[in-house]
Amino acid sequence: MEELLCTENLCRSFGGVMATNRVCFSLNKNGLTSIIGPNGAGKTTFINVVTGKIGASSGKILYKGKDITNKPTHELVKMGICRTFQINSIFENLSVFENLRIARQAKSGGSLRIFSSKQSLKSVTEKTWALVERLGLKDMAARPAKNLAYGDQRVLEVAIAMAGDPKILFLDEPTAGMSPGETRHISELIKDLAKDICVVLVEHDMDMVMSISDQITVLQDGCTIAEGTPDEIRNNQQVREAYLGKEE
Amino acid sequence: MENTTNIPGIKKRSHPLKIVMVILILIGLALFPFISENRFYISLINEMMIYGLLAMSLDVLLGYTGSLSFMHNAYMGISAYIVGLFLIHLSPTSLWLACFAGIIFTSVVALPVGWVQVRTGGLAFALLTMAFGMMFHTIVWKWYDVTGGDDGLMGMPNPDIILFGWNLGNSGNPIVIYIFTLIIVAICFFLTRRIINSPFGAVLEAIRENEDRASFVGINVRRYKLLGWMLACMLASVAGALFILYKGYIGPTTMSAFAGAGVLMMVLLGGMGSLWGAFVGAAIFIYIQDYISTMTEHWEIYLGLVVIFLVLFLPTGFVGLGEHLKRFRKA
Repeated sequence: MEELLCTENLCRSFGGVMATNRVCFSLNKNGLTSIIGPNGAGKTTFINVVTGKIGASSGKILYKGKDITNKPTHELVKMGICRTFQINSIFENLSVFENLRIARQAKSGGSLRIFSSKQSLKSVTEKTWALVERLGLKDMAARPAKNLAYGDQRVLEVAIAMAGDPKILFLDEPTAGMSPGETRHISELIKDLAKDICVVLVEHDMDMVMSISDQITVLQDGCTIAEGTPDEIRNNQQVREAYLGKEE
Repeated sequence: MENTTNIPGIKKRSHPLKIVMVILILIGLALFPFISENRFYISLINEMMIYGLLAMSLDVLLGYTGSLSFMHNAYMGISAYIVGLFLIHLSPTSLWLACFAGIIFTSVVALPVGWVQVRTGGLAFALLTMAFGMMFHTIVWKWYDVTGGDDGLMGMPNPDIILFGWNLGNSGNPIVIYIFTLIIVAICFFLTRRIINSPFGAVLEAIRENEDRASFVGINVRRYKLLGWMLACMLASVAGALFILYKGYIGPTTMSAFAGAGVLMMVLLGGMGSLWGAFVGAAIFIYIQDYISTMTEHWEIYLGLVVIFLVLFLPTGFVGLGEHLKRFRKA
């Protein structure tokens, strides 16, 4: 089967440090793949390179067999590769609705219309409403995003990425700083998403990763040290060493 | 749904009171020269409208796209020189052709400048606007044979102003040029307001709010920043055409960095991101400048004090005044 996304010996160095070192990673159709690893393992760097935030030093990224290495971000998003950030990155002074509407508009086009009103893009408005309702953001749709509680902003962060109808969605620690209840809400949402699209999750919450992932990739010092199902990873000696240190 | 105005995505109707206010202001401005015989005030308001348009064009850039231009007056100046040169050397009566040439030429100059500028962001963008602005200022100032250098562009003819097939009269007549300015500025204002509320305007606002996020929802940030820049420069060039028709003269000081700072102050005084605030800011600035300069020739010092006071106590500008008062009444 042809892979949706794969990286071939992808490298990224900062000065002399290899933050991403010859990573070969592949994604098939739907499902949830988690990337875990100790702090500084290069998880976020890997996502940054794949989503075009920073360039690759060497290696290749293929999407549906096409080389997309070092393509500008907005082109990758149009192809269906979206992401969220570890630190909230939302349009603070725009309403929740507008946050999602603009993401939808950017995806479906019409941004060059200068004399018609925003509301004239009917399908954009409708699809945005559908998303707002699906995520239970209806009550706060008209509020400026900056006035939302942190947990709701975190949901909005994911929602903005969803509005672009991604084929692959990278989530960089979506539950960072959230309460257990909110974490459950988000993990339900992620599980739901993974039914239709390919979700890549970077996460520290091991319980969550182990319970919802289909596949797990473990990174350490920029290299892949293990790949497999949650059970395989749990029993992998190398992974245990990476997290807990070598047994004497 | 009983209250549809608060539901996003559904077209908001402007408050009827607002519409009445705008109509009253426009009628008031249109009648003013026929009621007041005072030539001085007619000319002062004329200048306020032109600088208001320039400040509004800067607001499109600063308040909506989030890019700072220190010398937006440069593009008003370029257009004014081109319109003047066209009328002097090519055809003293083809007013519309001259204005068209001014806008096109300014756009042609602004395009490569913008292309370079959008490749940077934040402070670098602002510094580049200053660097380019100073270059244009110096060219105009030193190229004596064409621009008249220090003396400015002299010998502007006064063409008749024909609007929609209706002859308003000679542009040498202050009332004629006042009415002409009012009509053009009003058209530009409503057109810009429309553009700001369009899908295109929404993209500009997204870029202002969060450039990084904008590119991660699929917006080509550089491209839209460039388009925002072009819109701002074209509006400034319209102000330039009006400026030279109104003054009958343009000198290099209009394009100086000092004047550029003035335009920025107008936007800050009025408040960013509302369009009409720019007009209020321009009116306050020009009035204070005029009022204080009748008392002392060091008017810049006092104007500076007023601006410092306003920035400290009214940081959101005049536009934010309403909010301040509301909060004050509640307290």
